[in-house]
Amino acid sequence: MGVPTRTGDGMTITTTQRRSLAFIVTAVLISLGLTVEAQRGFGGQRGDGRGRGFVQIEPNLPYDGRFTFVRLRFQNFMSRGSQWIHDYPYGERHFMKILNAVSLVNPYTEANNILDLDDPELMKFPIAYMAEPGYWMMTEPELAGLTAYLKKGGFIIFDDFRNYDEWNNLEMQMSRVYPEGRWIDLTNEHPVFSSFYAIGSLDLIPQYFQNYGTPIFRGLFEDNDPTKRMIAVANFNTDISEFWEFSDRGFRAVEETNEAFKLGVNYIIYALTH
Amino acid sequence: MFESIFQFLFKYQPLVYEQGEFVWGSSRWMSISVLVAMGIATYALMTYRGIRGHGPRDRAVVIGLRLAALAVLAICLFRPMLVLKVAVPQQNFVGVLLDDSRSMQVSDVEGLPRGNYVRDNFASTDAPLLKTLSEQFVVRTYRFSSAAERLESTDELTFTGTGTRLGDALSRARDELAGLPLSGLIVVTDGADTSEAAFDTSLAELKAESIPVFPIGVGDESLTRDIQVSRVETPRTALKGTSLVVDVVVTQTGFAGQVLPLVVESEGRVVDTQDITMPRDGEAATIKVRFKVDEGGPGRFRFRIPEQPGEQVQQNNARENLIDVRDRRVKLLYLEGEPRFEAKFVRQALENDPNIQVVLLQRTAAATPSAPAKFLRLGIDTPEELVGGFPLTEEALFTYDGLVLGSVEASAFTAEQLRMISDFVSRRGGGLLALGGGRSFAEGGWGGTPVAEALPVSLDATTAAGAYFSEVAVLPARAGQAHPVVQLAATEAASNEAWRNLPPLTSVNFIQSVKPGASTLLAGEDSRGADLVILAAQRYGRGKALAFPVQDSWLWRMHATMAVEDTTHHDFWQRLLRWGVDGVPGRVVTSPDRVEPREPVTLTAQIADKTFQDVSDARVVASVRSPTGVVTEVPMSWTVRRDGEYSAVFAPDEEGPYQVRVTATREGESLGAALGHLRTAPSDREYFDPVLRTTLLRRLAEETGGQYFQASDTSQLPDALTLSGRGVTVVEEKDLWDMPALFLLLVLCAGGEWVYRRARGMA
Repeated sequence: MGVPTRTGDGMTITTTQRRSLAFIVTAVLISLGLTVEAQRGFGGQRGDGRGRGFVQIEPNLPYDGRFTFVRLRFQNFMSRGSQWIHDYPYGERHFMKILNAVSLVNPYTEANNILDLDDPELMKFPIAYMAEPGYWMMTEPELAGLTAYLKKGGFIIFDDFRNYDEWNNLEMQMSRVYPEGRWIDLTNEHPVFSSFYAIGSLDLIPQYFQNYGTPIFRGLFEDNDPTKRMIAVANFNTDISEFWEFSDRGFRAVEETNEAFKLGVNYIIYALTH
Repeated sequence: MFESIFQFLFKYQPLVYEQGEFVWGSSRWMSISVLVAMGIATYALMTYRGIRGHGPRDRAVVIGLRLAALAVLAICLFRPMLVLKVAVPQQNFVGVLLDDSRSMQVSDVEGLPRGNYVRDNFASTDAPLLKTLSEQFVVRTYRFSSAAERLESTDELTFTGTGTRLGDALSRARDELAGLPLSGLIVVTDGADTSEAAFDTSLAELKAESIPVFPIGVGDESLTRDIQVSRVETPRTALKGTSLVVDVVVTQTGFAGQVLPLVVESEGRVVDTQDITMPRDGEAATIKVRFKVDEGGPGRFRFRIPEQPGEQVQQNNARENLIDVRDRRVKLLYLEGEPRFEAKFVRQALENDPNIQVVLLQRTAAATPSAPAKFLRLGIDTPEELVGGFPLTEEALFTYDGLVLGSVEASAFTAEQLRMISDFVSRRGGGLLALGGGRSFAEGGWGGTPVAEALPVSLDATTAAGAYFSEVAVLPARAGQAHPVVQLAATEAASNEAWRNLPPLTSVNFIQSVKPGASTLLAGEDSRGADLVILAAQRYGRGKALAFPVQDSWLWRMHATMAVEDTTHHDFWQRLLRWGVDGVPGRVVTSPDRVEPREPVTLTAQIADKTFQDVSDARVVASVRSPTGVVTEVPMSWTVRRDGEYSAVFAPDEEGPYQVRVTATREGESLGAALGHLRTAPSDREYFDPVLRTTLLRRLAEETGGQYFQASDTSQLPDALTLSGRGVTVVEEKDLWDMPALFLLLVLCAGGEWVYRRARGMA
């Protein structure tokens, strides 16, 4: 079995950078670029509206124990389109390929699931991702579903939202789920930032778009105790899946994209072990 | 009645015939004369053949009757007699041993306590039987229970002895009466011997010295109304918070079919009550009792059925067992070979358990040619713990009490590490749990490894051929229904119902068979109808090995059909891991027992070094602390019988809980210490199965040449002793020729011939 490890602040991580993430990212992205180009033209439904055009929503995978990326679908606040679909499918596909390449998680890389919060199937996938929670609205059945999901041990990643109007909406929706819950700003001391990669500084993860302030990473914890299990993480004022999605386009520096992937990998490893 | 008729016909009691030696008493000349006379008479009889007018049948009858009469006459003339050795009055001793144990308080001798019979017949100088015996013998009376001693006065008989050691009592009386003319020993008892050892040694001594024993059985061979908690099987130690399933064996007479409560109490606090239906009279029923041990420290657990009206013995309605509830934190190493949800939810199930520490060694990335595998360590005690991945030395691995192998392939370990895992179970006595997954069992290449030897399931090579995946509905197997791991509810029926309501899991390991010594606790049926092993366990050396070939038991927590407040997953994992490491030995183990005050107890300890190799050259001392705080140092010595085993004998003299702390050192270095507990209390063994043991007492009489008597009829006892042939005796000849039976026979023969002749018209 393997060797190198370093201990840090109650949580221990392995830190030896045995592989160059940049190298892997570059190699994977070249292949992704080819794949993605090949896939274009298969659309049929309204896509994310960010240059990807129409995207085909593919059927869900049946549960078989293997890690599957789950994107949460929701009703939009003020009927502003399908915000939940932003960055689908390239964001998660690219991310899963990176996750598969760097870790032993063994996720599905060519497909993922889209589930509603009140879908019983959601319970078989204890990690879920939500884009654009600034426009998120919950029905009562969805509220019940998400409440049970998080109380039992589910973990949710909120991503791709900015400005305090959108933050307030997330906070309001989550207060329905967890009335006494209090969002806590995370620092790089938190174990989630050392579960796989040692993320030394959160400043390395930039805002994808301009003029929305600096990214803030916030967590919701069991009993509002930061030493306990984090049940949700919010990437406020940034959009890490945007980095994932366009990682094959070269819109942003590879180093920045790397940080977004590292963050995602750490979220998954953290949620698989905590 | 029978004996009176016998004595009328044959002149003497049967006892005289049993003890006497039969001889012919006539002189030689007399015998010759009788034979000649018989010959002439027989010749004369032959002349009857000449009787005319009658058939051969008539002649045969007449001749036969006449010959029979002659034969009787001849027998009388030969002078038959019995030769007996008769004890000389007041020249011989008789030892009378009176049972002074608690079981003699049972009221089944005409509704009165057995002890009353003993007092009335043997402890009072006015007692007729004792008086008769005293006329013939010098009587020495002893009382016995756990020990035997001379009885000086009636008041000493209290019937409160907490044991019956019949063999010891006989040996004591024999030793004390050695050298004296002894006609025999009388034992007045119910025969409810409670000594651990058989009394064969005492019996052999008595046989060798030809000392007859005359047991007098007091009491009934069965009780008419009684409930008895016959046996309770509890573990000696348990980890705090463990849910136990304990077998309680109940027998009864007179209450068949009634539903009565069985109450479990711990230090006076009721921890469980269960209604049970009384089995049929005389039959034993085994009841599974479920309860949780929540209080740390040595605890007395009492299993009681409340006393019922009319019960003859009420003290046997309860059993008390000592369980050392250990409030310590066992440490498990969980190696997970791939990041998956099973690890997360196992940690979640145990995160608030104060007695189980799970250290997760999560492999997150595989080794590459240029870099070793990458690990995440959670729940460790020191920064250095597992810093090099899976332990490389026994010393490091054996600090854990249990090992959980997740989905990790065998090739991730060195050959030495694989051997260490096997030794972890067999030698260290740790618990091993192998979970299902794509890298587990045959799929992970574990077949043929030393670890596969330890596992309870068969890793058939064919199971690894091709990818297998199926949903599996899980239910308790037959052997598992009463197993503590499988209990999801307070009763077996409720537990089975709970299992039926659980969502199915999935498996990628097609395992259908367990090894011969293993038990299947949970079984499942896959989507194609094939039966699968879901949870199997076996002992392997000193430890336990379990296999749980499913990949997502966490569905019992997350599944949509499971309520948020449902604790099935949490309870199952707590039970599974507790049971897996239950009884994991520390490096020093004490094995004391519950004893009576002043009863010697053997303390034993198994001593091993850090790698659990047995150590036979250690200095081992047991510090025994009495209930009043007196500490006695008892050196323990190697037993030679077994490597690493040490023992010492100690006799606690106070009543109450004792603490035994065993420390071991070798060459000045400490090998460790362990704490054990011992409780001294008056035994209640006497009240269990307190019926008259006729078989044992008859055997005692038969093998020593004595005679068994029932308490209701001991009239022959003085004669039996007189004729026992032991001690100072005189030879007595008792004539038999004049017994009424011979005279009657002669009259019958002669009278019969006369009647026959008259009837047939023969002159």
